[in-house]
Order: sequence, then structure tokens, then C-alpha cells
Amino acid sequence: MKLYDYVLSASCYKIRLMAALMGVKLQTEAVDFHPGRAHRSADFRSLNPAGTLPVLVDGDLVLTESTAMLVYLARPEWLGQSAAEAAQVQQWLAFSARLGASLGMARLHDMLLYPGDIDAFRRAGVECLRELDAHLTEARFAGRTYLVGDTPTIADIACFPNVALAPDGGVGLDDYPSIRLWSRAIRALPGFIEMPGIHRLHELKPAPEAVPPLETLL
Amino acid sequence: MSIWIANGLSQDLPPGVVMAGAWRGAELAIWRSASGRLSAWGDRCPHRGMRLSHGFVRGETLSCIYHGWVYGSDGGCRKIPAHPAMVPPATIKAEVYQCVEAGGVIWVAPAAVESDAPDLAGLTPVRSVTLRADRGALARVLAGAVAEGDLWRVPALGAVLALQDRAEGLGLHALCHDAAQRVAVSRWLDGVLRLAEEGALA
Amino acid sequence: MIAAAVLNEWYPVAMAAMVGPWPGRATTLLGHDINVFSEGDKIIVRGAGGDLAVTLAYGHVWACPGTPAHDLFPVPEAAQPGRRLVDCGAVRVKCSPLRAVENFLDIAHFPFVHTDVLGAEPHTEVGRYEVQIREDSDEVWATKVHFYQPQAAKSAAGGIVTEYMYRVAASTSAVLYKTCPNNPDEWDVIGIFVQPLTEELCEVWPWMALFDDTTPQADLIQFQQMIFLQDRSILENQIPRLLPLDPGKEIPTQADLTSIAYRRWLKRKGLTYGAQMVAA
Repeated sequence: MKLYDYVLSASCYKIRLMAALMGVKLQTEAVDFHPGRAHRSADFRSLNPAGTLPVLVDGDLVLTESTAMLVYLARPEWLGQSAAEAAQVQQWLAFSARLGASLGMARLHDMLLYPGDIDAFRRAGVECLRELDAHLTEARFAGRTYLVGDTPTIADIACFPNVALAPDGGVGLDDYPSIRLWSRAIRALPGFIEMPGIHRLHELKPAPEAVPPLETLL
Repeated sequence: MSIWIANGLSQDLPPGVVMAGAWRGAELAIWRSASGRLSAWGDRCPHRGMRLSHGFVRGETLSCIYHGWVYGSDGGCRKIPAHPAMVPPATIKAEVYQCVEAGGVIWVAPAAVESDAPDLAGLTPVRSVTLRADRGALARVLAGAVAEGDLWRVPALGAVLALQDRAEGLGLHALCHDAAQRVAVSRWLDGVLRLAEEGALA
Repeated sequence: MIAAAVLNEWYPVAMAAMVGPWPGRATTLLGHDINVFSEGDKIIVRGAGGDLAVTLAYGHVWACPGTPAHDLFPVPEAAQPGRRLVDCGAVRVKCSPLRAVENFLDIAHFPFVHTDVLGAEPHTEVGRYEVQIREDSDEVWATKVHFYQPQAAKSAAGGIVTEYMYRVAASTSAVLYKTCPNNPDEWDVIGIFVQPLTEELCEVWPWMALFDDTTPQADLIQFQQMIFLQDRSILENQIPRLLPLDPGKEIPTQADLTSIAYRRWLKRKGLTYGAQMVAA
């Protein structure tokens, strides 16, 4: 399976993260999104006419929407375990598009100089974070950690990157206690990988033992 | 105004977690060790000024995310990874506040203060939210509330709000009398935020 | 009022290959709006008070808002046959331009911020190295810097002890030289050119001159962007945002000798745009 990838893209990271959690090995091809804008080139558009990243190719199958790629990579238990859960997963996949259009755009604006109304992006982003925090708080009242059901689903992976990267766009996360605990739970999943802007949980590794002094290695 | 400022709910800070807090204008890192010990420090590593609230908890220590400097629960630097053999001088120390929990609420005061934190015993902690408006806007929405300093009681709902000035606005740490009402109070809070913020804009 | 010493320095303002006709790139330098645009085969940097002195080098457009005190610093490796020059584009960071440079000069953070790439626990030790302010070139140099790295460059497969040299070439530009996995006789050269938009906001232009004929360009750029973006969340969360130049405000150790020399050099030269002079 080949992923056309950009290391700083939240959507590309969704796919790298999902594959890592599933133990699926991806072959990645870096696309010069910034500064080269190679995703808008004629060559790239012959693969994906929309000119967007990521693109996942498996044999004859070409997927250009990250939520579709999550479905393709997921084991069945990551898709919701009843009709109601599967429907709720779809709700959150739709919600993840709102995250991209708000927090995601704020980040591109602040980091890579994308044009747009930064105040509007941030306001919409805060709305999303409040909805998410309210939902996760009720989930915690019921003894649950993730967005849907008792275990992680592709809904969590679709929403996590733009939420965790919100500070890159000038939207802080300090005001959302349930989001903080949810984010920690995702970062503690076996196989989790980070991306720039999302630190791994160093505490999952024990404090290091002493090693020989550096000069003995020279 | 009380010297003890509510900084969140105990249920939102399990062992091994660090979060940002605030005591009036001062920014804080509040963390709970593996054994459950609470600490509140100035949110600044003395080395290069990095926020300690971005750090990580290992056992009974908090480490700065930037260079991994390790601090013990007294705020003293225990280890500097760039110099593994060195014993850090005692002068390298985080700025330590008092941090206690009572009735499921985390309270912070400066180190020198000798008084007891408020105890909201008998209430059920619900949720912390941040209002992007001031006390005046909140008062207009909560017409029936009884304010005692930073503690606002809302009799109609059986709810109590502990207020906290935060970087992004006004922190509302909500508790309620009837545990069965947690979901209702949580949803009511969402409405309070919307109404107070719309009112502040109008 | 910005000091003359600050105004008379060169600052990067654009990637030369991406400059178009008026209005070109509308940006900010030292708090003033400028446009970087092409007119025929010339590149012009225009501010409200007129056109700025311009020079083109290392893939970037450099401008001086005052009267240039000296030529732009030399990077001889840029003209060396066999090197690939890679422009990486701008990333905006809400921090002092001086904090961005200081972070680039720092190695002790590698295991915690660039985990498993430029460093990893338990190999956190920074050994003794040499630092000097070279009077002939008026630059800060750190040499014989060694650090254990799990994956030192895109072309490196396993962990090695990498040797570095660091060089502060201008108040907001620094260059590092590191062991080149493909060519033991040469150094890979990586620069960061920092455009000070204001004292608390900057755009950072990473640039590389490498011996590497095989790695695709997009991979090289993304490796560098990955590294720099790992630093960004640190840089935006240092308190205060300005770089404190007065000793006592922050606590350095032996591993910070380059940073100590950089701060001293800035203070001596009056290059204090983005610096905090009095402990708050």
C-alpha cells in the first residue's frame, strides 16, 4: 500500500497513525506540499484530480478521502460494533471535516501562511472543541474514554490530529479537561506514532538507566 | 476574594498527569505524581523558560519536555540529562505554590499562606469549563445566583460554581448536590457559556 | 525606536525562486510592511520609506532596512561542486527571532524533542566542546560538539556519534556543519535564516547544502520541516517570549556554552531586537 504523504499534514498523519495502530506497513512517497505545492501539479492531479493529500493506492484502488482510507485500513472492531455505533462513527467522521475547516485552517494560516479569516477559523475551532469536550465528559460519566462505544474507533483517529494540533493555530487546549484525558488515551495506544507538533508520552518509557560516558563512544 | 483559587476538579487530574493552571495572573503547572501527590508550580522551567505544563510525569518527578530536566516534588532539580553525572545545585528550583484538594476540587494558594482551602464536601464534582466573558456577563445570565467571593451558588439547579480567572477567560468549576444531575448540569453549563458570551457581545 | 546596529544587518525576506511581480510577497520586517517582488530580472524589496538594499544568496532574498554595515556572511560550501542546495520554505513561529536561533544552536533537547531521530534516551549526555567568538569574522563558533544520534540524517541508517560545528553567522542566521554519512571528508551544511517580523514573531527559512544525490528533494525538505516543526511547539511556549540577555533570568549549564556566547555577542553588538534586557 502506498501513501502519498506530507509530513506536516494532519490528514496524512491520520493515515500513518491508523496504519501504525493496525500494524499495516505503508510505503510513503513524500509530496512537496510546502513550499513546492506539488499536490497542485498536473502530474499529481492525474492521480487525484482534486489536488489534495493524502492519496492511498493499493493495487487498482485509489482513495483520495482520508475518512475512506481509515475505513479501508481498519479492523472491523474499529468501525463501531452495532448499527448505532457505526452510525455514531459516521457522525464523528463528519465532525472531523469541521475540525479540518476550522482548527486545521487556523494551523495552516499561522504556520504556513495560508490566507483566510483567522478569527473565524479560531472561533469555529473553539465551538468544535467545546462540543467534543462536552461529549467526552458525558462519556466519562458513563465510564467510557473514547468517542463511540468502549474501545477506540476510526472516529477517534479522524478527530485526534486536528484537535491535538490546535495550538499550532493559536487555539489552546488547556480549557478542555476531557479532551486532555482522551488525547492521552490515544497517545498511549499500542503502536501509536507521533507527528511534529504532537509529542509522544515520554512517561510510557521508564526513567533511563545510566550509560557509559559519551567520551567512551568516540 | 479568596486567597485559595480553584484550579480544576480532582477527577480531571489522575496520577501521572500534568496540566496548566492559574493563580490570579500567575501561570502554573499542576501535576499529580504516580503515588497521587499534588503539586502546583510556576509554569516555567528555570533553565530556558519552557512551560512545565508541557512536561511529563515519571513516578514522583516532573520533567521538562525541552531538555528533560527532572524536578522532585519539593520543586528542586534532581537531574540534568545533558550532564548525567552532575548533582544539580539546590538553587535550581521551580517556584512552588501550595496545592490541596478538598471535596473533589483542586485548590492553589501561594506558599506563604496559612489558611485552609474551602471545602465543598458533600457535593458531586461535575465539570470545568471556560467562559470567554467576565463575571458581569455571567451574573446577567445567573440572575438567581448567590455569590460568596469566587463561590457562586445556583439554588434553582442545586449547583455550585467555583470561579477562576484563566488566560482564556473565566474558569467555572461546577459541582452539584444531586449526583444523578451530573449530565443535566453539564449540559446546562454549555447553555450558560453560550448565553453569557452572546450577552457580552450584544 | 530600533537601534541602528539592528537596522544595518541583513535579513532573509523571501525564497528567491518564489518571488513574483508586484505585489509579490507582502510581508513584515522589524515591524514594517514590505513587498518583495520582481521587476524584469531584478528583485525589489519596497517599504513605505523606499526600496531596501537587496542581495541574493543561498536561495533567498536578503534585505537591509538601514545602511549595510558589511556584506552578507559567506557560506563557501554553497558554491562547492557536488553539493545539492535545498530551500525548505518558510514556517511562521510566534517567538522571538533570537529564541529561534538559540534553539537551533542547542543539542541537549534532541532526545526529548526530536526523539528517535536526532537523539534518544538514555544517550542524553552533551560532552565538553569548544566555543569562541572569532574576532576576524565576528562570528560565534562552537566546535567539537559530539552527540549520539539514532538517525542523524535522512541518509543515515543506524545510531552513530555525530560531530557538529555551529556557527552564528548573523544576529538571526546560523549554520551548522555535521558529519556527512555519504562523504566522510565533508560536512553536511544546514542553515536557518530567520526573518524577524516583530520582536515576538518570526518566519524561519531552513536551507541545506548536502552531498546526497539519491534522496528525493521532497524527502529532504520534509525531513528538515519535520525537525523544525518539532521545535515550534517548544518555541511558542517559552516564557518570556523575548530572549533574556541579562544573566540570572535563566540558568545555563556547560551544555549551553554556545547559547551563552550568542547572548553575550548579541548584547555586545547591540543586536537586541527580540531580546529582553532587564529581568522582568
